[in-house]
Amino acid sequence: MWKEIVLRPARGMRLVSVLAVGGLVLAAAGCGKPPAKNNANGAPSASGKPTHGCMVTDTGGINDRSFNSSAWKGMQAAASKNSNIKVDFTQSASEADYQPNLNNFVSQKCDLIVAIGGLMGDATKASAQANPNQKYAIVDDNLPLANVFSIQFDTAQAGYLAGYLAAGYSKSKTVATYGGIKIPPVTIFMDGFVDGVAHYNQVKNAHVKVLGWDKAAQNGSFTNDFSDQNKGRSLSDAFVAQGADVIMPVAGGAGLGTAAAAQQANGKYSVIWVDQDGCVSAAQYCSVFLSTVVKNVADATQAAVAETSAGTLQGGTGSIGTLANNGVQLAPYHDFDSKVPAELKTEVDKLKQDIISGAIKVTSPAQPMPPAVGSGTASVAPSASAVPSSSGSAVPSPSAS
Amino acid sequence: MATLTVYSAPGAAVPTTGFWTRARKAGLAFLVIGVLAAGIFGPLARQHKSARFTFTQTITGAHVDIPAQPGAIAFGLLCAIAGAILLAWGRAARMLVLLISLALVFLVLSFLCWQVASGRNSTVLPLGDLSNSTVKAALPLVFGALGGVLCERSGVINVAIEGQLLTGAFAGALFGTIFSSSWAGLIAAALGGVFISALLAVLAIRYLVDQVVLGVVLNLFALGFTGFVFTQLMAQHQDKYNFAPVFPSWQVPGLSRIPILGPAFFQGNFFVYLAIALVVLVHVGLFQTKWGLRTRAVGEHPTAADTVGIKVYRIRYRNVLLAGVIAGIGGAYLTIGDVGNFNANQTSGRGFIALAALIFGRWSPFGATLAALLFGFSTALAQVLSVIGSPIPQEFLSMLPYVATIVAVAGLVGRVRAPAADGKPYLKG
Repeated sequence: MWKEIVLRPARGMRLVSVLAVGGLVLAAAGCGKPPAKNNANGAPSASGKPTHGCMVTDTGGINDRSFNSSAWKGMQAAASKNSNIKVDFTQSASEADYQPNLNNFVSQKCDLIVAIGGLMGDATKASAQANPNQKYAIVDDNLPLANVFSIQFDTAQAGYLAGYLAAGYSKSKTVATYGGIKIPPVTIFMDGFVDGVAHYNQVKNAHVKVLGWDKAAQNGSFTNDFSDQNKGRSLSDAFVAQGADVIMPVAGGAGLGTAAAAQQANGKYSVIWVDQDGCVSAAQYCSVFLSTVVKNVADATQAAVAETSAGTLQGGTGSIGTLANNGVQLAPYHDFDSKVPAELKTEVDKLKQDIISGAIKVTSPAQPMPPAVGSGTASVAPSASAVPSSSGSAVPSPSAS
Repeated sequence: MATLTVYSAPGAAVPTTGFWTRARKAGLAFLVIGVLAAGIFGPLARQHKSARFTFTQTITGAHVDIPAQPGAIAFGLLCAIAGAILLAWGRAARMLVLLISLALVFLVLSFLCWQVASGRNSTVLPLGDLSNSTVKAALPLVFGALGGVLCERSGVINVAIEGQLLTGAFAGALFGTIFSSSWAGLIAAALGGVFISALLAVLAIRYLVDQVVLGVVLNLFALGFTGFVFTQLMAQHQDKYNFAPVFPSWQVPGLSRIPILGPAFFQGNFFVYLAIALVVLVHVGLFQTKWGLRTRAVGEHPTAADTVGIKVYRIRYRNVLLAGVIAGIGGAYLTIGDVGNFNANQTSGRGFIALAALIFGRWSPFGATLAALLFGFSTALAQVLSVIGSPIPQEFLSMLPYVATIVAVAGLVGRVRAPAADGKPYLKG
């Protein structure tokens, strides 16, 4: 009897360690195997050299219905086009995982390691400096290193269109935006949005208010993470209390709280989604998405992997997605197509042309700079079949998504 | 130390003696802070006109306008006066709580006069919305802390509140969607919480594992397990597995029209009413019933309880499982009570804040609820200030809830005593 009691804590600790290991393994397994969709589109051709593309997500996770999942789609598309390419990903549960995840892929001898998100900048830089022969690509950061390809987006341009659209669509003349974490790839959306509203006010002599972001002071509303939907929801409640009827969350998964709340409010307000067309990535909330500020991460990662296989990817350079090269764009209006006045649509289209032609210049302190290392010209091949482009910074057209 | 405090009421603050009583210390603090508030917020509000507070959930409707600078100074001085009374009076009594609350309210109002008036986007603060957001932010914490009360009063430390909340949120969304019924989700959530609780109970009570370590491991397990199912199943088929119906809001006729507090307490959904009922129920149960007396006895002195025939193990198992039900339901609020879908690590540390509320609330249901409301209020306040365009950088605003909690725990509550046998496994010998 007594002996049994003495042994209990030891047995207990054994059970606890089973639980701990189980939890860790499951957490890792959740991150581990990609949904096997490779080679889905008919017979892929094999070209280039065998390439292993490896992607590390940031803390939003692979299913954030936002830029991580978008980037992964691009990786998968590259693999499905070319059977010599195989792709893998691993998820970062916290910022502490960035370094080990990157190093893990280094030891797996990946041909290209794609780091997703500006938050991973420091970790990627350290890893790239320690492994000069390993090729990296990073989304949303500019690392002037000879073995890093920087994929950036001038999202302010598309945000500008969204701001104009929101201002024109709002009946209460109050619109709002909030972010996940105050980092340049997030605030650049908000800068563009605020300027777009200001432009509307200027040309229409209107007084539409923007809540949630002060471009001059670079201060505003944030959920402080990319996963807490309930916080996103309560922030949007606060905006609605102040009269806002169009809200643009730039907060990854946390933004879904706003979409859910808008749906429960039965169309009292609408939402502008970001990164991936909301009607595709979060289709259940399509009825509340006025539009989406699309950032074509998928095409950019696809191109990067394809070019690695073709041997044309140049470290030290990068690409900048703009309205002109469809790297960023405003998604279709979907359910709102009949509700957005035709006149407003025309104005938004015109505005797009003006931004492309340079007649209107969109600025933001968070705007990407071309990488300053290597050949000096930031050039990328424009298509998944990796034909080297001749000039300019380019992200391929969104045909492959 | 333990022998000295055994005779004080369980969970009560350890009394201080001498001239510097708690009342005097708090009084001095409020006197200084009040004068500082008047001296700082007043001049800061100089070039601003007035702050408008509406009693509704929007920026229109019944309201008061308070001139910014006079308001900030007046409320700061009122806070100082309340502090001065406390300092002069110096005794702990019923008035103490009232005076401290008044001083706090005046302090917040002084701050708000400046903040709201200087809002870049809006100089209107809808108090109805503020109270509504406060309650919503506090709800999961209230459930979590109640679960903690049940466990710890019977002598089992519950660090696994986070895991219970998370499992509840997860099960609520998953089964709520599968059965397309929020009630099914609610039952599943309760069972999910019980699942974590059962592991906690068996390992802590039967296998005598260190309870803090165990709680941490259970949180880890819940995070891994829910995250795994979420990535593999729910996220890939959102409309089939992660799109649960949300509990509709029920209005209490008449009461829901009460300005400011009405929308928060009488226009919410099922969870709001359940939380109110549970707080009262647990309080009455704990302090007025046979079950409550036995629970507290087991938590304070299990050997003594055993000698008078109380079944220590049975009480502990029952309470820990019950705590799982409550915390699981609390987690479900995040999904089927609010946004209708689950996200990996959705609770984002709310369970740990609930644990803090439990300690801050001195292991009592009402205390823990007040603590949760304080945290909810500072969260809601930080949010609304960022929305109206406060000049304070958002990094500081988002610190507010945590700073408020630390100040409250360290400054106002003082030393507290946990149930004597909290975390000590009982061996029948």
